[in-house]
Amino acid sequence: MNRIKIINSLLFLPLILLTGCKKEEVVDTKQPGTVEIEFDNIALINNVPIQLQLASPGSTEYPYENAMGQQFNINLLRYFISKIELTGPNGESFTDPVSAAAAGTKGYYLIDESDVNSQFVQLKDVPAGTYTKLTFTLGVDVDGVQEGAVGGILDPATNHMFWNWNSGYIAVKMEGQSDASNGGVSGTETLEGGSDHGIAYHVGGWKDIPNSAFVYNNKRMSFDFDVDLKVERLEQPHVHMYFDVLKLFSGVNSVDFTGNHNIHKPIDGVPVAENMEHAFQYDHIHQ
Amino acid sequence: MKKNTILGFGVLLLLQSCVKNPLSGPDDTYAFRMPDYFPEPTYTFANNPITREGFTLGKKLFNDPLLSSDNSIACSNCHVKSVAFTDPQHRLSLGVDERAGIRNAPSIVNMAFMPEFFWDGGVNHLDFVAINAIENPLEMNEKLGHVIAKLNDDPDYPALFRQTFGIQDTITSPYFLHALSQYMLLLVSDRSKYDMVQQNKATFTAAEFAGQSVFENKCSSCHPAPLFTTYDYTNNGLDTAFEDLGRGRITEATMDQGKFKIPTLRNVALTSPYMHDGRFKTLDAVLEHYDQHMVLSPSLDPLFLQSDPPGIRLTADEKEQLKAFLQTLTDYELLKDPIF
Ligand code: HEC
Ligand code: HEC
Repeated sequence: MNRIKIINSLLFLPLILLTGCKKEEVVDTKQPGTVEIEFDNIALINNVPIQLQLASPGSTEYPYENAMGQQFNINLLRYFISKIELTGPNGESFTDPVSAAAAGTKGYYLIDESDVNSQFVQLKDVPAGTYTKLTFTLGVDVDGVQEGAVGGILDPATNHMFWNWNSGYIAVKMEGQSDASNGGVSGTETLEGGSDHGIAYHVGGWKDIPNSAFVYNNKRMSFDFDVDLKVERLEQPHVHMYFDVLKLFSGVNSVDFTGNHNIHKPIDGVPVAENMEHAFQYDHIHQ
Repeated sequence: MKKNTILGFGVLLLLQSCVKNPLSGPDDTYAFRMPDYFPEPTYTFANNPITREGFTLGKKLFNDPLLSSDNSIACSNCHVKSVAFTDPQHRLSLGVDERAGIRNAPSIVNMAFMPEFFWDGGVNHLDFVAINAIENPLEMNEKLGHVIAKLNDDPDYPALFRQTFGIQDTITSPYFLHALSQYMLLLVSDRSKYDMVQQNKATFTAAEFAGQSVFENKCSSCHPAPLFTTYDYTNNGLDTAFEDLGRGRITEATMDQGKFKIPTLRNVALTSPYMHDGRFKTLDAVLEHYDQHMVLSPSLDPLFLQSDPPGIRLTADEKEQLKAFLQTLTDYELLKDPIF
């Protein structure tokens, strides 16, 4: 144990020295700042964003309608965001550091409709400058899966987003109810016990094997801002993003709740995955 | 300062020599060692360095029925040390409440080198294997989160995890999974007679030597030394229709139906019953299968179609020689080793 510590301090010494040098060379007086991104889950109805309301499991009140006119409600909505990047017109660039280890993870965010705090992502140490574009990945890529068991938000014992039979993380998990469904969902958190009208969409997939059920379903997407995002030390700019849950079921593919509404593997999730990259929308920035 | 550097290098040198030289002194009992003719391990050791404490904790967990829903079954019930960590009793493994599983428990030696786990390759990392065993209703029928809670409530485990991993608070799943992996990673089977011959410390008998050449001609395209598997998925002609789709269950490709991961043949003399469903009790039955009883199906490996009827023709002599050779793959040193 002691020996390991000694090695560590030896390794860090040059780093400290190096960073020490760098700081003195930097002439820019502007300091890095923090950017907050809000992932606001909504249902866009007649072009009006309505705050999402989670129904209690079994409720037969159906506030939403899919593109096929089938009414439904939602008991659970959760998704992973990772590899966030901000870029600007003058070469400004910020990449949110990503790491995964037993002691914890960085750069992976689990947005959970039942936990307001989870919907606010803080990006720290963003270099001062002007940013006009946000990029991120919906889901957890190979680098979060190939390193073995990790903790923090990726802890498979606590996040309920890990497929154990075919290891990998679910990107988007949605559970709810619709009269159009004839039930029979399995492996759910909210509907266990034989809901007659349950719907379960567990969508993910981190590798592609041609002609197989393994498909890459994560989505990388970018959004241009309509105004400049200015980062300086004392500013706390806030980017407001919408996630329109109705778009999971429409857009590229109209999802029919009378069809397969018990989705638990990459190939079955493709129709929703193709829709879900269009479910996000940039709304505005508070400076 | 100078002293530290020397110490630091000393540790580095020690680590390096552990990997290369299987006989380098008593201090490296808990270091990962392998002979130089083994391939690079697939395991991510950098994320989970093996220590004496971690290994010992992993061993305790591996033998602890606390991991199952009714505290009745440990990993070691189905992966029994004396028979190279397989299950000698049950054709299909038996879980809690005597529920029969769908497959035979494979040996878990040399897991450090395996790229994908289970007969169908559904799991991509050794750390995740235990989640599957624990959460399978036909095996331990537990929830990983509940096992972690039980460990945190235990009088001994919290202190053991803190000492082992230097963590401050409660036990979390990655440390639990890492400890189990540390135990399994040191199960390197490399001390069989076959290995002694490779290292010029023993010689084959005439029958073993003859068996080796039959094996190299007829078996090693799928079961090549030193691990005696390519880890590919293929169909060795057990069935015409498939109750268990095998690799096809994971990939859902029609051409993968009936394919299973080629198993290692290390310790094969002890790992009866054989095949994914444990259908053969003896090596004689296995060799009879390859020689005479193979059946046709769309995914049958084309290699077997070179003969008509499909299979690998073996004379009575060749069968005896093959068995003699396969016996040399038994690693009694590993099975006797008190650290496991
Ligand atoms: C009820 C019996 C049973 C128990 C208990 C059990 N296993 Fe297994 N194990 C099996 C079977 C059966 C398989 C093969 C499953 C398959 O391929 O679908 C297996 C496969 C494995 C493999 C993969 C081997 C390979 O060649 O791919 C490892 C590693 C493993 N088990 C470790 C463990 C650990 C660790 C535990 C305890 C947490 C455990 N097992 C508990 C029966 C069991
Ligand atoms: C074309 C590839 C291939 C060839 C050639 C081949 N095998 Fe196999 N072998 C397999 C596969 C695949 C399995 C597992 C099948 C299953 O369980 O469904 C297997 C299983 C076995 C097993 C059972 C091991 C266990 O732990 O259950 C033995 C023993 C075995 N083979 C011996 C041999 C011998 C001896 C030869 C040469 C005569 C041979 N094999 C040739 C692919 C092959």
